[in-house]
Amino acid sequence: MRKILIILISLPIFIASSCDKDPEMEVVGDVEIIFRANYDGELFLTQKDYEYIPDMSIKFSTFDLYVSNISLLKEESSTDESELVEIDFVDLSFDINQQSRAEEGDTVFTKKVPAGSYKGFKIGFGVPADLNRTSPNDYGSGDVLATSSHYWAPLDSYIFSKIEGFVDKDNDGIYETSEGEGFTFHLGRDEVYTERIIFPSDPIVVEDGQKLEIYIDIDVKKLFNMPIDQFDTNDDNLLDIEVYDGAHGNQEEELIIAKQLMRNYSEATLLEQ
Amino acid sequence: MYKALLVSLLCLCVVMLFTCKDKTKPPAPGELTHISYRPKPYPYNLPEGFPRFEVPKDNPGTVEGVSLGEKLFFDPLLSADNTMSCSSCHFPHLAMTDKKARSTGIDGKEGIRSAMSLINVAYYREGLFWDGRVKTLEEQALLPVEDSVELHNSWDEVLNRLKKHSEYPALFRKAFGISSIEEMDKYLAVKAIAQYERSLISGNTKFDRFRRGEAVLSEEEMRGYELFFDASPDLPDAECGHCHNAPLMTTNEYLNNGISEAFTTEDFTDKGYGLITGNPLDNGKFRVPSLRNIILTAPYMHDGRFKTLEEVIEHYNSGGKHGPNVSPLIRPLNLNEVQKRQLIAFLETLTDPNFTQQN
Ligand code: HEC
Ligand code: HEC
Repeated sequence: MRKILIILISLPIFIASSCDKDPEMEVVGDVEIIFRANYDGELFLTQKDYEYIPDMSIKFSTFDLYVSNISLLKEESSTDESELVEIDFVDLSFDINQQSRAEEGDTVFTKKVPAGSYKGFKIGFGVPADLNRTSPNDYGSGDVLATSSHYWAPLDSYIFSKIEGFVDKDNDGIYETSEGEGFTFHLGRDEVYTERIIFPSDPIVVEDGQKLEIYIDIDVKKLFNMPIDQFDTNDDNLLDIEVYDGAHGNQEEELIIAKQLMRNYSEATLLEQ
Repeated sequence: MYKALLVSLLCLCVVMLFTCKDKTKPPAPGELTHISYRPKPYPYNLPEGFPRFEVPKDNPGTVEGVSLGEKLFFDPLLSADNTMSCSSCHFPHLAMTDKKARSTGIDGKEGIRSAMSLINVAYYREGLFWDGRVKTLEEQALLPVEDSVELHNSWDEVLNRLKKHSEYPALFRKAFGISSIEEMDKYLAVKAIAQYERSLISGNTKFDRFRRGEAVLSEEEMRGYELFFDASPDLPDAECGHCHNAPLMTTNEYLNNGISEAFTTEDFTDKGYGLITGNPLDNGKFRVPSLRNIILTAPYMHDGRFKTLEEVIEHYNSGGKHGPNVSPLIRPLNLNEVQKRQLIAFLETLTDPNFTQQN
């Protein structure tokens, strides 16, 4: 009997205290993250000619990547993070007939975060190790990690990013498949996963009930930077794509190139609000 | 008190008697409620290491539905002159294909494309057909019946025949719980066919067993596997696995694998995916087909242009033909004769004995 009495008395208190929390929880805002690509400042489109180095043009056919662990940081040094995205797939392979879609970019799915001012923006390029231990077979069709086109069974890894296209090696104005002018960079494996924290000059302010748009612009040309004085063309610090036209990750050399290309995502990325 | 109880008991008996009598009465014409409707969920036994696929909420698989679908699939009643069924172009012992470059319908008219294998078709959520023009199996199954180069019939006529049939009305009742023959319609027929098609799961090839650690590949097959998937740093990359990835042996993407020479996007005789998306840069792209049971499904490609696997390998080895949107994964492979043999030896491990026998 005493027990029942105690329960009856404590129940309203419990209800009241949980009610209290409600208004506090509502102070959240939406953040939309939109990815866009450019090539040396110009809108990036597949099936379009760009200059790679003087006298050698380049044409892309695919450009996509996994992004992960995107979160907002309260303070520069703090570990107080609000996660926006655990993992998503960004496909920026819009072609010359899809210019307006390329201008709009690809928006990733985000969660609501507590309103407030944030100093840092953290982003992972690729599939982080914990998720990279899974495989498409662990997901139902429709999940971003269920796509078998981005999984490498022999290496037990997702392909974090695909950059494919052609370079006009003999500068004859034609991109020849049969002459081996194609390149295919499939970047993956735990070793090449890259994370970056961006501290924009103005803090990122999320307001209660409002939607904030954050643009992430990637300069695809910068992905080919080769500061390591290896694998580069003579006069530029750019990957010598004529010789190194692919990285599928299972040769020592390819892994070094893949690491550098993935690392370059940090440099190639600009945040705009 | 007693009296009241007695009266109500009596009433109950009378009511029960009436309903009893009702049961013994023959059902009204077309009525099916006397047939029991107790559907059992169909166990889609997915092989180990296979992804899950989506089953539409309004058409969950049942044992009764799959078996009705199977009967319909093999029934020539679906065609105008009772000569052809779905299985006339999708033979079970040929991995659900027909050995023809292009399929021929009941009037001897040739279609423009090669019949596709239906194994693991439940997984193709990126669209069906070589060009992805249809989204679901239910939608797809409506088409062959009225297609002039296929069964060239009308659904009205097919339903006439099904309703008059000695077995179908009961089978529709058991699968879908309809209460009268009048409720039989084409949408239920295609639901059943789709359920049957979803049950065609192949995961019992030597290669599957190798992946599960239950079989060993021969030396030749193993080298072929390594070439196919770029699994050995010491061997060249034949690039196949990028598009024909395990376990389904396809990534389901729409790509141009360089089989047709084209200088502009208008040069493709069959525009394929481009006709569906309206983007000329998709012209000449086709859905990457699965390579399961590939040694049984000659001739090859959407129009059956290659008669043998040797011709297919020659094509890929050459680096393909010029085209404005050929995938860069198509490039000269420089494989020697031994390596070409090894690739074919590997392709031979993709045969599933469950789809090689006559029904
Ligand atoms: C005359 C031969 C013929 C008949 C009869 C026929 N099909 Fe087909 N089927 C084909 C051809 C050819 C294709 C590929 C067509 C294309 O891509 O344009 C195909 C494709 C399909 C596909 C798409 C498979 C995939 O992987 O996307 C399905 C499903 C299918 N058929 C089911 C059926 C069903 C169900 C029936 C009976 C109702 C049937 N077919 C009757 C020739 C036939
Ligand atoms: C760029 C992606 C790509 C690569 C790489 C690739 N394929 Fe294909 N494959 C395709 C496409 C797309 C088709 C269908 C093309 C068509 O019919 O127009 C196809 C068709 C086939 C077919 C015919 C299947 C059928 O049912 O008719 C075979 C066999 C085949 N490929 C084997 C291979 C082998 C072996 C390799 C490696 C040497 C390979 N493919 C590499 C994309 C690719």
